[in-house]
Amino acid sequence: MMRRAYAMNIVGAALLALLFGCSSVSQTPSVPPKHPEDLPQGRVDCLECHQDVSTGALKPYSMARHSRVFIDSHGTYARQGQNLCASCHAPAFCQTCHARKEEMKPDTKMGDRPDRRAPHRGDYLVTHRIDGRLDPGSCFRCHGNKMDTRCKQCHQ
Amino acid sequence: MGRPTTVIPPGKRLLPAVVAVTLLLPLLFARTAPAADLSVSSKTFLRYYERELAGGNKDTYAPLYEYLSADATNLGGKPLAFHFYGWGRLDLGDASGSGKESGDVGSAYLEYLHPQGNAQMKLGRFFLTEGAAMETLDGAFVKATSSVGLGVSLYGGAPVEQSILNGTSTGSSLYGGRVFFAKAGFAEIGASYLVENGSFQGGEDREEVGGDLWLRVAPPVELTARATYNRSASEMASQRYAVRIVPGATVDISAGYESYTYKGLFQSTLNPAFVPPSVDNNDDVQTIFGIVDWAFVPGWTLEVGGKIIRHEKSDPGDANRGEVGVRYAYNDKKDVAGFSAAFVSADQAKNEYQEYRGFASYSPSKLRLTLDALTQQYKEAPIPGVGKKNQYQVVATAGYQLLASLQLSGNLTYTQSPNFQEDWAGLVRVNYDFATSTGGKK
Repeated sequence: MMRRAYAMNIVGAALLALLFGCSSVSQTPSVPPKHPEDLPQGRVDCLECHQDVSTGALKPYSMARHSRVFIDSHGTYARQGQNLCASCHAPAFCQTCHARKEEMKPDTKMGDRPDRRAPHRGDYLVTHRIDGRLDPGSCFRCHGNKMDTRCKQCHQ
Repeated sequence: MGRPTTVIPPGKRLLPAVVAVTLLLPLLFARTAPAADLSVSSKTFLRYYERELAGGNKDTYAPLYEYLSADATNLGGKPLAFHFYGWGRLDLGDASGSGKESGDVGSAYLEYLHPQGNAQMKLGRFFLTEGAAMETLDGAFVKATSSVGLGVSLYGGAPVEQSILNGTSTGSSLYGGRVFFAKAGFAEIGASYLVENGSFQGGEDREEVGGDLWLRVAPPVELTARATYNRSASEMASQRYAVRIVPGATVDISAGYESYTYKGLFQSTLNPAFVPPSVDNNDDVQTIFGIVDWAFVPGWTLEVGGKIIRHEKSDPGDANRGEVGVRYAYNDKKDVAGFSAAFVSADQAKNEYQEYRGFASYSPSKLRLTLDALTQQYKEAPIPGVGKKNQYQVVATAGYQLLASLQLSGNLTYTQSPNFQEDWAGLVRVNYDFATSTGGKK
């Protein structure tokens, strides 16, 4: 009961904050829902055109340079907002990997894109025995409560 | 243990209604439909592979998959959009999964993006990352930032999950929010709260409190942090702290520390792989990581990464992973070739392996050819009773752009591993992309 009351207090406070926010929504232009120009193929480097701070992410464009560093930590940025991502990527892009239920590995679907950093290449059923022992937290983020169709063949 | 019983929580009964309503909502704007920008992407895959079964029988699989995504933006000339993503399978051969047909709706939602302040609203089924939350939800999400930089987001609905854990069904409802302060180009700090009603480990709901930080301490240096405390388990679930240095357009360096406790992070799992006896619930993991991405010559990129993994418990023991790779982009960045080598050294020999990978693509005009080869060498046989200590996989693809919006391609995959003495698999892919306007990179 106390936890419920605590939760309700939080929600109430957030609603009040929302009401306040709606009455004075920032006048900063939102990031466009779609990047206005077609983008070239390959890894994106926003710095080729943008030097300043994104009004969508409120962070410098150098943050979104699609280097290996960014790709490995994209979840940290996405948890603070997805507007800048959504300007170039449709929701389906995220769900190539982040799905509730999926039967094809990303590298199978994107077999013609070996440049993409798709997880679980090769016969990963073998290697997951090792990676899963050593760092199960990295498995949990996607397989903790979703995408378990294949898992249940062995994990019962 | 037998097969788990599938229990449909009350929230799940909302699914058909939510999907139906969301699919019909765009019709409200039908009169102004010409103002909308529409993009549709269809990816059709036909796979072919065989499997030998115990007793000498052989199954032949030919699953046909259709992945469809559609995005209609600027509905009625307003900042409204509708997004859909889903897939379906039909087996033309033996049943390749649970039954000869399957599918899922990944997302189907209406989105409003306010022209100012990045205020937004989502209604329907959507994938959400916000503070402590990384969920797919049948519900609603709203977010706004005030003129002083203080913002709030709220969400609630039925979680879209899948349970294969005996006696544990998916959560019935999930709600939460995040309060944050952002100063453009300098900092963003947030505090979040999430509750998922259900009967997870210990018979408890999932209740998490999170914090996140992005701080630009100097133009090339930024700090990021995120931490989640699991109130149901009374344990810190996970923490991640990193420093990133981007001194120019060619160098990107990051290093940091990450930790998680099994008891805190896995408390709400619906997968038996994350509950005892599969794992020791008293274990915790601490890692130190570093990554360097350096475009040392135009087109050439060096990637170096390392990770030190330390366990509280002696089993499974500690490990170190190192990786180095080189990528070369050419043909106006349409093509990339690369080579990488990785190793894992560990306390226990059964956890040690090496990995080597090479790939290249070649895209003259409308033709596209790719080759991808991977090998992993294990110190000990990874599957008990199977002596093989290595695996090899080669994927070759060929594709042709028939029309500006239509591409036909195919994969041929050869695998040799502890699971497969020798395996050949084929795939034919048809991609169709249609858009009424330019822009984006979907």
